[in-house]
Amino acid sequence: MMRLDHLPNQRPDEHVILFLRRHWFALLAIVAAFILLVGVPLAVGLYFEETVMDWLAHPVIGPLLVILGSIYFLSIWLFAFLEFTDYYLDTWIITNERIINIEQEGLFNRTASELDLAAVQDTTAEIRGILQTVFTYGQVYVQTAGEKGRFHFKNIDNPEHVKELVTRLVEEDKRRLSALGAGGHGKVKSVIK
Amino acid sequence: MLEIPNIAIPMYVFLFVFGAYMLFYVIYNLFNIYHLIRYGVYGFGLYLIVTIFTGGTIILVAGSTFLLMEYDWTLSISSENVPEFYNEDLFPAL
Repeated sequence: MMRLDHLPNQRPDEHVILFLRRHWFALLAIVAAFILLVGVPLAVGLYFEETVMDWLAHPVIGPLLVILGSIYFLSIWLFAFLEFTDYYLDTWIITNERIINIEQEGLFNRTASELDLAAVQDTTAEIRGILQTVFTYGQVYVQTAGEKGRFHFKNIDNPEHVKELVTRLVEEDKRRLSALGAGGHGKVKSVIK
Repeated sequence: MLEIPNIAIPMYVFLFVFGAYMLFYVIYNLFNIYHLIRYGVYGFGLYLIVTIFTGGTIILVAGSTFLLMEYDWTLSISSENVPEFYNEDLFPAL
């Protein structure tokens, strides 16, 4: 279990500034799909209640229907929860010293990467389309100087604010590192690594 | 004239199929819960999510089990006894 007050490889004086997940709209899509997949068969069953009751009372069709129904509803429940897990475990943590990107892809693939704020070159916020504009969510791209490419904060709430925050934290971290550098180069190197 | 052999399928065979599915379901579930507990962020929300999911699963499995217990699983279906089970009221549209 991850604790926000005890991050992996936490540095002295490091603290969490922002903890991000995808916007709740992503969750809404899962809930809508779940309601649709559960609601439609139940509504059809209620509409043809008499026929369904006759089928359930039948010694051969009844058990087969119960088995198929159970498999169907259990699968929907499992599917919804797997999707929720994927949403829940995709996180971005911004501290005063680095950005941690944790991405869950399906159940068996997980990527965790981190980036020193001092290595950030450019931050871009992107809001595209009607839904993202109305619900104020979108993408933030954090470009690094190294070969790692860029960090992508997917469908997060208020990307403009996050971009501004990251930019400000990068500036502060660079200032902090230069102050440290004036005091002793050895320390700076160990922080940047 | 070609004679079709009379093959009887006991109903409990379907119960084995359901059992195999349940095994897959439980294993997948456990993996999912393990992932949530192992990598989730510590807090009340995490416990709530795991409880809701486990509770929902228990309700669904218990409901299925109670419904399935009401049937006679020793029954066999064969080409000979199919007419016994056929009832015109079953498919009113046909």
